[in-house]
Amino acid sequence: MEFKLRKAEPKDVSDILRLVKELAKYEEMEDQVILTEKELLEDGFGDTPFYHCFVAEIQGGNSSDDPKVVGFVMYYFTYDPWVGKQLYLEDFYVMEEYRGIGIGSELLRHLSDLAMKTRCTGMMFVVAENNEPSVQYYKRRGAEDLSQEEGWRLFRFDKDSLVKMGTPAEE
Amino acid sequence: MDFSIRAANVEDCKDIARMIVELSEYEKVAEHVKVTQRDLEQDGFSKNPFFHGIVAEVPEQHKTKEGHTKIGYALYFYSYSSWSGRAVYMEDLYVMPEFRGKGIGKALMSKVAQLGLAAGCNQLNFTVLDWNKPSLDFYLSQGSVDVTASMGYHCMRCDGEALQHLAQP
Repeated sequence: MEFKLRKAEPKDVSDILRLVKELAKYEEMEDQVILTEKELLEDGFGDTPFYHCFVAEIQGGNSSDDPKVVGFVMYYFTYDPWVGKQLYLEDFYVMEEYRGIGIGSELLRHLSDLAMKTRCTGMMFVVAENNEPSVQYYKRRGAEDLSQEEGWRLFRFDKDSLVKMGTPAEE
Repeated sequence: MDFSIRAANVEDCKDIARMIVELSEYEKVAEHVKVTQRDLEQDGFSKNPFFHGIVAEVPEQHKTKEGHTKIGYALYFYSYSSWSGRAVYMEDLYVMPEFRGKGIGKALMSKVAQLGLAAGCNQLNFTVLDWNKPSLDFYLSQGSVDVTASMGYHCMRCDGEALQHLAQP
């Protein structure tokens, strides 16, 4: 089966959201996805993109079929004041029925190559510790677990606590 | 004590670079710092910045014995959650030891929160070292959640040879 990788375009937002939800479902977090196609469009294809995406496409059975988007990576650039620019991998997913033909490897290779070309010193991401297959997948490829090895814990302020914190204290 | 919080400008990079090293010394990993003042100037203050900074300053009469009036900073950038959209990431938050306990850290973080909310963000993320009890306590008291504990999320990185290898055809 042939596939091709390309930069995501505005027309892809509905497929991107579909794949985001499929990945969240795999992580048993489907109800956490509140993002909409409209937000994906504004945030990814406006003047200042908050994220970038590559998609993997399979050509349909007949040449008259539309190609189908079966995998994607969502990423953005971050900054580590110790070592500089980083590429942050937010989501990485290939539909189950299209795995095993090299799409995932090619998406990751493309992204790593982009990281090097844009002079990022590392590629960062987060994995749930109970997601054994993914943890092994990344460790086999040389990823370090900074939480385990250096003790870094990820903390978050959600919207409500963010609003509370952003309100100046009474004098 | 009187202090002011303002957006960093390119002239602040010397002090920010100094305080980045101080923070890394506190975190016991000073040998990891490779970024220079020049890198900060290029990466934070050119047309497409990779981060933004906020600086805390005290008036002349409260300057340190080395003469510093810039005594705290925060570095942040915008990120994205595929579940909830726009987010802000606070990469560094630091106040020099002799100026702690006066609400400066809280004020810096509050400023990052305000700017994030103004930009339409739904969450503020950051990392803390598991042995850094004063910081863990501070952040938890401000209403943050330890996502590594609650969701088992581990921060991973591919760099150096591993990254080069992944990039090979």
